Amino acid sequence: MRRKAGLILLALAVFFATLSPLLRWYAFPRLAKIPANQYQDMVLEAKDATLLDYGTMRSKKVPEVTVVQTLKGNVEASEKIERTASRDVVVWDGLSYVQGPDGRMVSEIPERYIFDAHSQEPVHATGESVDGAPVRRDGIEFKWPFLTEKRDYEYFDAQARTTSPIHYKGTQEFRGVTVYYFEQTVPWTKVPFPKAMPVQGITPESVAKTGTTRWYTVHRFWVEPGTGAPVCGEEIHKEELRGGTLLGGRDKVTAFVGHVKMREDYIEHTVNLVESQRVLVLLMTSYLPWSFLILGALLLSLSLYLEARGRRPGDAAPAQLTEPEPVSA
Amino acid sequence: MRALIAAATGLAVALALVLTVTALGSPTGSTSPKPLLTTVPAHP
Repeated sequence: MRRKAGLILLALAVFFATLSPLLRWYAFPRLAKIPANQYQDMVLEAKDATLLDYGTMRSKKVPEVTVVQTLKGNVEASEKIERTASRDVVVWDGLSYVQGPDGRMVSEIPERYIFDAHSQEPVHATGESVDGAPVRRDGIEFKWPFLTEKRDYEYFDAQARTTSPIHYKGTQEFRGVTVYYFEQTVPWTKVPFPKAMPVQGITPESVAKTGTTRWYTVHRFWVEPGTGAPVCGEEIHKEELRGGTLLGGRDKVTAFVGHVKMREDYIEHTVNLVESQRVLVLLMTSYLPWSFLILGALLLSLSLYLEARGRRPGDAAPAQLTEPEPVSA
Repeated sequence: MRALIAAATGLAVALALVLTVTALGSPTGSTSPKPLLTTVPAHP
């Protein structure tokens, strides 16, 4: 009976000891993925911003500019790409809708972001675009990979349509969560006018005829708790119109200047959401693998102990139940 | 010999469990019917 228990314990010890690395190095990378049907929205605000009045072509101070950002997983498009890409793909159809203080649209830029569901690496397929124009992302956007590392990443900027490094600047505490702090600066870059302009009758083509160009720079901060889902983001965003006849002889006009921050209720919501996801990630990458390993070692010790007790000389007697036959000459 | 069989059983069950769970994966679901927003939501 003791030997049987020892064998069962040995089987369990091997089971848990095997499960530990398998969970961390085999199951987690395959199970942790962004759902193809994810839907999320985010509201960012720029208080006391500067905005261009396209009616007068003069910049003015406004109390608030709001950015509504929606990301919607397109399951049908991702399944179509998966057939040829032979990996799990997520297709996000996004919209950055910018609204002025009067509730009117300032700009709206749709985009399609295609990426690997596990690693968040961009996947290049037909449809990858910003504002209807094809682009090629060579870095992440919106989301970091699971188990974010303390290093620089390549980050895609949808306005400039360029990829450049976003630098790891250190580890901080944010609302009770340990986060990694990243910073990126996109230098002044000439960017296309949005296809949807705030004034009816003005189109990117009609502006282009005047010779006026649009320039943009941003200094971006992200804080990320190691799960891949940023809990806070801020941008110091500047846009200018330069040259051409549209400016009435002026060299440049500020189109927008604002310190864009996530709205407080969205920060709270994201922190709560990310904290629960963080526990899940830690469960699969740390808590369970270590627990299983320790449990495996304990069970193995117990199994060896039982085996050793079963083999003690005093316990060997029951094995000689049958007495030897007397030998007769 | 019996110890070896017990260890092999533990190993096989762990492998089978992990392979089955990862092979099953998670359902993809369907595209959300919610629109891309052009109004400011009151709350998350």
